[in-house]
Amino acid sequence: MTALPLHFELPEHMAAEKFLSKLGKKIDFQIASEQYATKTFYDSFDWRLYSAGILCELNQSKSASHISLIDRNTGKCLALENQQEVPSFSNQFQDGRLKTQLDPILEMRALLPLCQLPYQIFHINVLNKDQKTTVRIKLEAYENLGSRISLQPLKGYEKAVARVSQLLEKSLALVPTQSSILNSALKLQGRKAQDYSSKLVIKLDPELRADRASKVIYRALLKSIKINEAGTIADIDTEFLHDYRVAIRRTRAGLSQIKNVFPDSIVTQYASFFAWLGQITSATRDLDVYLLNYQQYKAALPKSLQEDITPLYTFLKQKQKQAQTELATHLKNPNYIKQLLAWEQFLKEPLPEKGCSNAANLTIKELADQRIWKVYKRLIKEANEITEDSPAESLHDLRKTCKKLRYLMEFFQSLYPADEIKALIKALKGFQSVLGDFQDYEVQENSLKKFSAEMMANKVESNTFLAMGVLVQYLDSMRNAARHDFAKQYKLFKQEENRIVFKSLFAPQIEVKKS
Amino acid sequence: MKVIAAYSIKGGVGKTSTAVNLAYLAAQSGYRTLVWDLDPQGASSYYFRVKPKIKGGSKELIAGERELDGLIKATDFENLDLLPADFSFRNLDLVLDTRKKPTQRLKKLLQPLSDSYDFIFLDCPPNISLLSEAIFETSDILLSPIIPTTLSLRTLEQLKTFIKENKLKDLKLIPFFSMADRRKKMHREIMETLSEKHPDILQTAIPYASDIERMGLERMPLGGYTNKSRSTEAYQALWQEILATIN
Repeated sequence: MTALPLHFELPEHMAAEKFLSKLGKKIDFQIASEQYATKTFYDSFDWRLYSAGILCELNQSKSASHISLIDRNTGKCLALENQQEVPSFSNQFQDGRLKTQLDPILEMRALLPLCQLPYQIFHINVLNKDQKTTVRIKLEAYENLGSRISLQPLKGYEKAVARVSQLLEKSLALVPTQSSILNSALKLQGRKAQDYSSKLVIKLDPELRADRASKVIYRALLKSIKINEAGTIADIDTEFLHDYRVAIRRTRAGLSQIKNVFPDSIVTQYASFFAWLGQITSATRDLDVYLLNYQQYKAALPKSLQEDITPLYTFLKQKQKQAQTELATHLKNPNYIKQLLAWEQFLKEPLPEKGCSNAANLTIKELADQRIWKVYKRLIKEANEITEDSPAESLHDLRKTCKKLRYLMEFFQSLYPADEIKALIKALKGFQSVLGDFQDYEVQENSLKKFSAEMMANKVESNTFLAMGVLVQYLDSMRNAARHDFAKQYKLFKQEENRIVFKSLFAPQIEVKKS
Repeated sequence: MKVIAAYSIKGGVGKTSTAVNLAYLAAQSGYRTLVWDLDPQGASSYYFRVKPKIKGGSKELIAGERELDGLIKATDFENLDLLPADFSFRNLDLVLDTRKKPTQRLKKLLQPLSDSYDFIFLDCPPNISLLSEAIFETSDILLSPIIPTTLSLRTLEQLKTFIKENKLKDLKLIPFFSMADRRKKMHREIMETLSEKHPDILQTAIPYASDIERMGLERMPLGGYTNKSRSTEAYQALWQEILATIN
């Protein structure tokens, strides 16, 4: 039964009416409705719904307008609600099946329209001799994209749907199709599904000269910077800025960690440009994070204080708006645009016959081995020196080293066996997160103290400060918990199994022999 | 999942129209709804144009040899499914009697459906028997139509006594007037006295109306062929009242 085709394409020359008259000679049916409508597909910028196998459609006709979620593989409707428009965020949906399905997938990402298709839709009921509907047929005739037939099986009438499916395929010679009309529409726009992902995917040839390979990496990062720029300026959702900043940070890590492949003057010039970008975008991101955490903050308070924290939200919202406006001004500044273009130009330019240094002339695999191994050893050294009494500073420094290692491993992922390097990145990620928590809680604690001082001027109720005090205490306890967890997480990370893989992937051959 | 039984000891009081029309309204407002036609006459199956026949009949059904899910048919209405009747249901009592814990049987059979439906309406045959007891055990609500006649008072009291004696604490009895003819003086008077004596009777009364009778000709729920009438409004009001009682 699973192989039964339910979706068909009409041949290009076959109009809907012609199909219906052909069908009428074979089976008894009734046209339940016939309408002109518009279908708009929605997804987040990073294709979260599509990746989860779901399509979100808004179908609007004169008489009705509804949002539906469709299983991309089976065409089955997962949820449907009558609504005039699609809210930007899942939490703006009314309570119901749509919201429960969308919320965990979309999280903080906004729904954006992908494409809008005008079409004519026929709802057709296939009838048995009692005039009972046994199969529903949806015929959608799109402008420029041909017509589609979908069979909707009804529970308990499996034989009927099999009969109709066979009839369409054999007698009417329709072609079964698996891909959604969305894919055809995207193709017409010159796009394809999942053409953006926040994950870094760089394919490198291990024999490529190090400086050339570095340019490949920076070009991929630049692409991510550029693609997220408009959404960052428009503040569509928090993740445009987040991905933008990640690409900036990776670029900076590259400039400092993929050492000596470009002339010093270039590195100095762009390192300071990207440092500046990191700095002008950080205030907005910090505030975004507080706002994203807000519900968690609220939940951490005793019930009696939960409403008192609201002024903090208002305060953060307002501050975020200010910071966002400033950030947008910076990103629209001609000077910024000029520098980014210059960087792009530099990445496009062919490199000289001979690289500018020894490092530049290595193969990228040789350089990657060297760099990762060196940073890994530094990480182990720093982590080994940390005791129960070490100051917070040493954990912060260790976190930075972890990040460097992580970025290097991600840049060079394609040079190593996929499962091994993936497992190491995962282990590193786990270790990093305890260090990240430790620092984040501390930063949040300090920010809250700073905010409360600013809020004093706004005549905020005393209970709000009380609630913020409780929050600081909560963050402090979380920070302590992260500190205590450090030793355990580090032990996990440095376990023999990981060490062996690190050594086998990155250590110089001679060193392996020595041990 | 809430199980609502349209039940009365008496026949011809409007049980089937109640089950079918309320299920239709529930489905229309987005609740995943199932009607189980337990009456061998198969009236609700007929209204949905589904053959009153199930594979294996009552024996295999009660023995649990067939999962209910495999016997369910989609109706012509969104969110609304039907578990058809079968003529062998006339023996349901006898078949139940052969089982251990016969009154728990329906509950057990419905259990696997609890994630698939928000409401299950049972269209019950008229009598008070072992099957009725099994229905009482499985239902959350016993929705009982009463025609405003003197006899109805006795029937309602019989039912209340039965529920009390059998300690059916989880069962909520909701009586309401059905086939009420406000032109008849006797109907009006009985409705008044009964409502005073039994304040649990719902406010809404379903009128005696020709458009409800037409269900048999149209072979679909009232809402399928009538847009707006006194009857559709009465069912809508009744459903709202029931929802309010549930919540």
